[in-house]
Amino acid sequence: MTRPPVFPHADARSIADDGDDATFCTTCAFSSACLEEGVDKRELRELHVLVDHVGPLAAGEHVFRKGDPFDAIAAVRAGTVKTYVNDPDGNERVLGFHLPGEVIGLDGVDGERYPCNAVALDTVMLCRFSFPRMSALAARLPGLQHQLFRLMSRNIGAAVRLGNDATADQRMAAFLLGLSERLASRGFSAARFHLTMSRADIGNHLRLAPETVSRVLKRFQDDGLVDLDRREVELRRLDELRALAAPILST
Amino acid sequence: MARACTFDADLLRRYDRPGPRYTSYPTAPQFSPSFGEDELRRAAHESNAEPVPRPLSVYVHVPFCTSPCFYCGCNRVITRDVSNGVAYLTRLEKEIAMASALFDDDREAVQLHFGGGTPNFLSTTQIADVVASIGRRFRLSGRRDRDISIELDPRAITPDEVGALAATGFTRASLGVQDFDPDVQRAVNRVQGVAETIAVLDACRRHGMRSVNVDLIYGLPRQTTAGFATTLATVIGARPDRIAVYGYAHLPQLFKAQRQIDATELPSAEAKLDLLALAIETLTGAGYVYIGMDHFALPDDELALAQANGTLHRNFMGYTTHADTDLVGLGVSAISHVGSSFSQNPRDLAGWSSAIDADRLPVCRGVRLSADDELRAALIQHLMCHGEVPVAALERRHDIVFAEYFADACERLAPLVEDGLVTLRPDRIAATSRGRLLLRNIAMCFDRYLPAPGAASPYSRAI
Repeated sequence: MTRPPVFPHADARSIADDGDDATFCTTCAFSSACLEEGVDKRELRELHVLVDHVGPLAAGEHVFRKGDPFDAIAAVRAGTVKTYVNDPDGNERVLGFHLPGEVIGLDGVDGERYPCNAVALDTVMLCRFSFPRMSALAARLPGLQHQLFRLMSRNIGAAVRLGNDATADQRMAAFLLGLSERLASRGFSAARFHLTMSRADIGNHLRLAPETVSRVLKRFQDDGLVDLDRREVELRRLDELRALAAPILST
Repeated sequence: MARACTFDADLLRRYDRPGPRYTSYPTAPQFSPSFGEDELRRAAHESNAEPVPRPLSVYVHVPFCTSPCFYCGCNRVITRDVSNGVAYLTRLEKEIAMASALFDDDREAVQLHFGGGTPNFLSTTQIADVVASIGRRFRLSGRRDRDISIELDPRAITPDEVGALAATGFTRASLGVQDFDPDVQRAVNRVQGVAETIAVLDACRRHGMRSVNVDLIYGLPRQTTAGFATTLATVIGARPDRIAVYGYAHLPQLFKAQRQIDATELPSAEAKLDLLALAIETLTGAGYVYIGMDHFALPDDELALAQANGTLHRNFMGYTTHADTDLVGLGVSAISHVGSSFSQNPRDLAGWSSAIDADRLPVCRGVRLSADDELRAALIQHLMCHGEVPVAALERRHDIVFAEYFADACERLAPLVEDGLVTLRPDRIAATSRGRLLLRNIAMCFDRYLPAPGAASPYSRAI
């Protein structure tokens, strides 16, 4: 079969777990930056930068919790990681969903402790990097440093996007398109993927009630914008979804 | 498109082997006691988390009957003591509260069905109380196509009581008839007059119920083609919207009540086939459409329409127009289908009661579906409803290459193809008109849990 895999199913093109001691995983967030600098994975390991492969974690297991000492960032190799905080009333606020090839823990960079919780939503595999050692290495390798900055700014951008007064339909369209683009860049199908997060998590992230999430998706389906089958979603009319999401995506 | 079914005695004779009815896949023998309350809670939690959670169907099992019909293989308790019903309903109320709490509030119940046993062992007031209780705890859909249905023993309900049920919101009724031949009725311990039965059927109509079903059984002791022809003519004369014609499966080692049946009075295999042929010819001749698996419906009935436009579904309650729902089974022996799981309540009243009394969800066994199970379940569901396997849709939805994934199954299908039951093309596997009466035999080729041919089987025969 030549069709790209439907997330979270993976194949050789999408799975980030295809590296070994001598080669980077194809989807590693750092491989190109390091390779450009002439650092291969063996050297990374020798430098004790690459701490270890973590997982599999089962759904509900935490990667780290808010307040844990910050010492490492991690790249998701498989599955979905949700980051969240609890407000003073104990209500959960979902910060984001992290897909294969994406990095978690970056928001701990400016402090000594993780400022949020990170939990596996399905079966998750991770690569854990010592952050102090990686920054020391980055000081010598401008490409790597650039990549770190890029990852951090992307993180901030993701948070900014939802801060406006968009409608429920606009938010949902932007959310689906965002997932689609991120998955496609990792070799997964852009048109079909599983929503590995619960509708409550989606709602929390988009600041919508769970019922509203379902109502909007149901309407998208009735209007032929998407096709839904249990957790699987297929984006059918991309142009209309893009038009719908434009007010958010253009900010 | 409504497809005809062709009766071919020789084929039916050769394919009359034990097999599941596929109201679920995996089937009940795969349910394991390791699936308990925690697993059901988890399945419900996951089902609530889906982007658009499925609507709910609720099934209520009423296990009581005042007298035993000897052919019965259902789970039931024989009693005339109405206080049993009172105690049962007290516990049922608790189960309704516990089960409804599993599901998010915005999940509508689009279908509510009372089965048994004999649901009308309960008074119409008691039944109305259960409906009201479910209405308080679940979110009963206000949609026009919401169904509230009940299996009725016409011997134990008056036309006025049917009116009370309709006033409660019941939209469908299924009447047990089996056979009007008095000789057969005595042999199975179910003596039931034509007049009282038709009066109940007419009352269902008069009080505005959307559709009425009549259950018949062929293969009962002392049954003759002449007697069954009269029964069929009488039933057709009353024009119920749906008619089910079940084959009697004589399994006295499994069902105690059946030991009361004198096996020497059972029709021979040949006579049984004649009865089936008669039923099919008579019903289709009278304008009924064959839906599949024992079921016939008038062409303007919702089932026939749903089959024609591809929206027919099938669950534990039989064929239905309601799209995929999560099924919540309440009461003794009831089966639930929640998310990617099937589970069942204890089959004995004592086991069910003690679980409820201990404030536990009374699930005692079940199964969590693997990805392979889901694929095969979808395949078999479509086959049972539409007589064909949607090869391309399954390939796409489940990311498989059909011919590779189901190479074994296609091999098992080969003799069925040779016998003209099935046509097998790369893009389409379809039952022929001959094969439509043997859908379960076709489905069995795709069942990975079936014991090897020749091994002892827990299932009844196909015909």
